[in-house]
Amino acid sequence: MKENAKPRTLNMRRLEPYVWLLPSILLMGVMILVPIISVFQTSFSEISKSGVNRGFNGVTNYLWVFQNATFWNTLLNTVIWTIVVVGLSTILGIILGLVLNEKFHGRKIVRAIVVFPWATALIIQSVIWKYIINADYGALNALLYKLGIIKSYVNWTATPGQFFAWECFVGILVTIPFVTFCVLSGLQSIDTSLYEAADVDGASFWDRLFKVTLPLLMPSLTVSTVLNIIYVFNSFPIIWTISKGDPADKTHTLVTYLYKLSFTNQRVGEAAAVSVIGFLILAACASVYMVMTLRAEKEEE
Amino acid sequence: MKTKKSPWPRVALYLFVFVMCVVILYPYFVMFTTAAKSNDEMYATGGSLLPSVWQWSNFIDIWREAPVFKYLLNSIIVAGGATFLAIACGIPAAYALSRMRFKGKGIFMGAVIMSQMFSPVVLLVGIYRLMTAMHMTNSLIGLVLLNAAFNQAFAIWLLRGTFTSISSEMEQAAKIDGCGTVQALIRVLLPVSAPGIVTTLIFVFINSWNEYTIALTLISSDLLKPITVGINVFYGFNFIKWQYLFATSIFATIPVVILFLCIEKHLVAGLTSGGVKG
Repeated sequence: MKENAKPRTLNMRRLEPYVWLLPSILLMGVMILVPIISVFQTSFSEISKSGVNRGFNGVTNYLWVFQNATFWNTLLNTVIWTIVVVGLSTILGIILGLVLNEKFHGRKIVRAIVVFPWATALIIQSVIWKYIINADYGALNALLYKLGIIKSYVNWTATPGQFFAWECFVGILVTIPFVTFCVLSGLQSIDTSLYEAADVDGASFWDRLFKVTLPLLMPSLTVSTVLNIIYVFNSFPIIWTISKGDPADKTHTLVTYLYKLSFTNQRVGEAAAVSVIGFLILAACASVYMVMTLRAEKEEE
Repeated sequence: MKTKKSPWPRVALYLFVFVMCVVILYPYFVMFTTAAKSNDEMYATGGSLLPSVWQWSNFIDIWREAPVFKYLLNSIIVAGGATFLAIACGIPAAYALSRMRFKGKGIFMGAVIMSQMFSPVVLLVGIYRLMTAMHMTNSLIGLVLLNAAFNQAFAIWLLRGTFTSISSEMEQAAKIDGCGTVQALIRVLLPVSAPGIVTTLIFVFINSWNEYTIALTLISSDLLKPITVGINVFYGFNFIKWQYLFATSIFATIPVVILFLCIEKHLVAGLTSGGVKG
């Protein structure tokens, strides 16, 4: 390299990492950051039913949302949906993960079965369950009737509450695999000598579970729980397919509600306001996750 | 858990696993058996567990009833394109993050992690406006770009983990032999990282294949729909052709379940070290 080229090369060197990052930054910048900005901007704008932006209208959209009883019911549903689905799938996923970590006949088959709901499109799972719980010709009624458990067909979705309960059930079922595999991944890193030491101390099954296994699983469980909160909160296909938020808009969560506002009712500005409210709730969760991930990174280094 | 103090916890746990498996498999059982039922049997009262006559012709009829082949092709184009783009952008970014020191690295990593918070559905209002401005509503290219972007965080994270776990000595040796950085990356690092790259490829492919919400919102012409949205053709307002819907769903599900089973082991290893979820 020539002497006089040196300052320029140094400059290039400093810029080089950014060149490597450029494609990724462009892709995420245009496809994610631009929509984020657009949603915030839209939430403070008056958008006509035909989609024309009539300009800044302050917090009108937010006021409309806050004065709407459906919104508050939806918010409550979202909290219930997130807590119930994440909570129960975490408990069931832990148990399943613990058992799958043992050696027994058919373990490989069970592991493969558990992968199924994770790999299948949510929309397809949802459609199947919509069919299963149908009151007139659904598979569940046929099954229970043939088994003699019910005498006549049951309407499984007579009330909004029942609809919502089924949706939570499907949500739990499809979320379990992720927790299970996080637990399996965490269990692999536990030192078996800890169990031998616990045996020497005469620890019972429950002692080993609550005093050795679970505390050591905490890092894996934290990651899976925080990610699940984000993904379950944002989950759209299950509720949209099974009940579309009906009857009477009683089974919405924030994402199905904003979808309906925006693409069925043409209330784009109000839908954007709901999006922003959703972000703010999730931002709290995501920042907790980010801090924890980066801290874990530092410990590794 | 080697010692056997009391057999009951074990028995209870195995029973639990058995029940879980039954509940997980039940919808697949329903999907397969319903797909082979005749239209008359579909809506007959009294219901049936298994089809009285296995109507295998349903699996052939679907290709005539609707452009199922076109839907599958669209899914392959969208998922394949998104996978290629996500990896093509993700590899250099992951390389820079694992091999270079620079200002703003922490900020970039933080932004990548934060981006996982924004699912396409909460951004739909913005995405729709952006795509309208770019004239990409109703376009497969639009779906490719969006799927690639929303899988970018995961791709970068997993690839960076793979690269970091490989020592940079070999690349440095290659550079001494006269290779440029790009050559060292392609000839030395990428072949060694193959398992991690394949896992990332398959995972992004599955996520894009299963994507529903963006495609539902953006694609309006029937012949551009991917399979997840396309199956809605059997889903009329008051008359649903469940048997065709499920027969088609089987074709949409089998390939991704097989792919997923292939990467399951590698995925478990990378799971808790980074954010991974479909």
